[in-house]
Amino acid sequence: MTELIMQSLYSGLLQGGSYALIALGLALVFGAMKVINLAHGELVLLAAYIGYTVESKLGVNPLLAIPVAVLLVTLASAGIYLLVGRIKTNREINSLTLTYGVGVILTNLALLIWSADVRATGSSWMQEAFVLGPLYSMRSEVLFFGVSVVLIGGLWWWLSRSWYGRAVRAVSSNRDAAKLMGINPGFTELVSFIVAGIMAAFAGVALFSYGVITPAFGGVLTVKAFIITVLAGIGSIPGVLIGAVLLGIAEALTVTLASSALQELAGMGLFLLVLFVMPNGLFGAARRRG
Amino acid sequence: MKQYKLLIPALLAVYVAVPLVFGSDNYVMSLVIASLVIGGIALSWALLGNLGGMVSFGHSAFFGVGAYASAVLTMQHGVPVFLAMLLAGVAAIVSAILMLPVLRLRGPYFALAILAYAHIFRILATEWTSVTGGSAGIANIPRLPLVASIDFGSKTGNYLVILTIVLVFAAVYDMIRRSPHGLALRAMHDSDDATRVVGVNNTLLKGLMLLVSSFMCGVVGAFNVHYINFLEPDYAFSTLWVTIPIVAAIFGGYRTITGPLVGAVVVYLVDQLVVKSIIPTGHQLVLGVVLVAMIIASPDGLLALVRKFMRKNDAAA
Repeated sequence: MTELIMQSLYSGLLQGGSYALIALGLALVFGAMKVINLAHGELVLLAAYIGYTVESKLGVNPLLAIPVAVLLVTLASAGIYLLVGRIKTNREINSLTLTYGVGVILTNLALLIWSADVRATGSSWMQEAFVLGPLYSMRSEVLFFGVSVVLIGGLWWWLSRSWYGRAVRAVSSNRDAAKLMGINPGFTELVSFIVAGIMAAFAGVALFSYGVITPAFGGVLTVKAFIITVLAGIGSIPGVLIGAVLLGIAEALTVTLASSALQELAGMGLFLLVLFVMPNGLFGAARRRG
Repeated sequence: MKQYKLLIPALLAVYVAVPLVFGSDNYVMSLVIASLVIGGIALSWALLGNLGGMVSFGHSAFFGVGAYASAVLTMQHGVPVFLAMLLAGVAAIVSAILMLPVLRLRGPYFALAILAYAHIFRILATEWTSVTGGSAGIANIPRLPLVASIDFGSKTGNYLVILTIVLVFAAVYDMIRRSPHGLALRAMHDSDDATRVVGVNNTLLKGLMLLVSSFMCGVVGAFNVHYINFLEPDYAFSTLWVTIPIVAAIFGGYRTITGPLVGAVVVYLVDQLVVKSIIPTGHQLVLGVVLVAMIIASPDGLLALVRKFMRKNDAAA
């Protein structure tokens, strides 16, 4: 039993890496533009399907799909930014409906191009077992966990050290003051969408490499990313990381102890718990109650 | 007043003329009924959006809960169909009460939280097999009954019932809008804080709108289940019940009462008759495009756009 639980904790941790990438993208865009991108999960899904196409058409390792995925997903993400930027009135509400529409477009595009079939990687290199003492995982899980850690480290460095990263944080905390300091908020918003797109691309290829994908998966991912940001509380990057790992572990434990059908319910349960018990999230600033 | 003079002939037309002209054509009637179902959901969505100031991406939850409640009540507890449909609305209210803590979250967070709730209900319907039959679904759900020698189970009967439901809801919506509460709700759009200062309980009013909206959506879901006589989780909680009503309401203008209804008929018919014949799978793609285009061009609906053009032309002339 202990072994099973240890194994769940380990699998959950590995899964948390990709979740963190997805949730950070959502949080970054929300911070910079006060827009929740409801098509964010579909961006991840797009990357996953690009991984599938590269693998099945060219017969190469899905890792090689990453450059293509980064390029296309970043373009799509920037496209969403341009659309959102054209909203004239009531941006908070209208951007939700607009990005929801983009999500519908992307989901149905996936349905048109790749059909409703469930897809998974056929690469045996990716699925090879990776043994760490008593713990097991697929090679791809460990590989992409490492990639996530590097990317998150990069993001942290970027946000705290680079000029653009600091500009994004400045716009998030006080838009008007940032403007007065000579930061162009429009450009900063675009940068945040691009960075979110890059992380979504890596996460998408990762999900394809160790899981299964269907066109409807995008919406589920958006909800998961949202649950993580609620767990974290607004504006907390360490919170997002912990929230992502918590969600991964909660799901893995549910699969081990109950049934795999209830996997999604685990995240929802966590979400409700946080909503009822501490609506500011685990690490959120005090003020968020309406 | 002018509106009311037009109302009676219009009512006569929809109640009498439509069944007389199309009554024998099952295909046309089923299209009309389906578009009224969409219209009913769109109306409940628009009520929440317009009066409550909340965008919901989780109305499929209420639709599905209403559908399951009515199916289970009629089949396992022998409740008469019409009563069960009302109780289904109450069940949807109960599910909405579970959502009330979400009102703690402001603005965009509410929209996402309600989306998450819709997922919960879908999973529950799939897993709670003893009551819902799981993913295999429930078949042979009773049709609408024969009352006073009118067969409500026929195509025409179904049409009359859903038409009445939608019209009653529209009247209720109008009543709320005209009431002092409606005024407070509309004032809330302009300034949340100002209405709070003059003594309006914002959260309570918003919560009430969520309950009213959920009731309407639940009843429509219940009607639909007795109309199609079959139910499964993926159908009952399909995002279809979110997407088409939103597109319809935005297209027709969600700040009006007729907008969502007209929008539902137009959007559904165009989707089914034109788009679906061109791209059979993934035809919702076009709905997404319409939604994006409408939000950018005219978030208050097509009519507002037309009016804007008219005004421009007037100014030019």
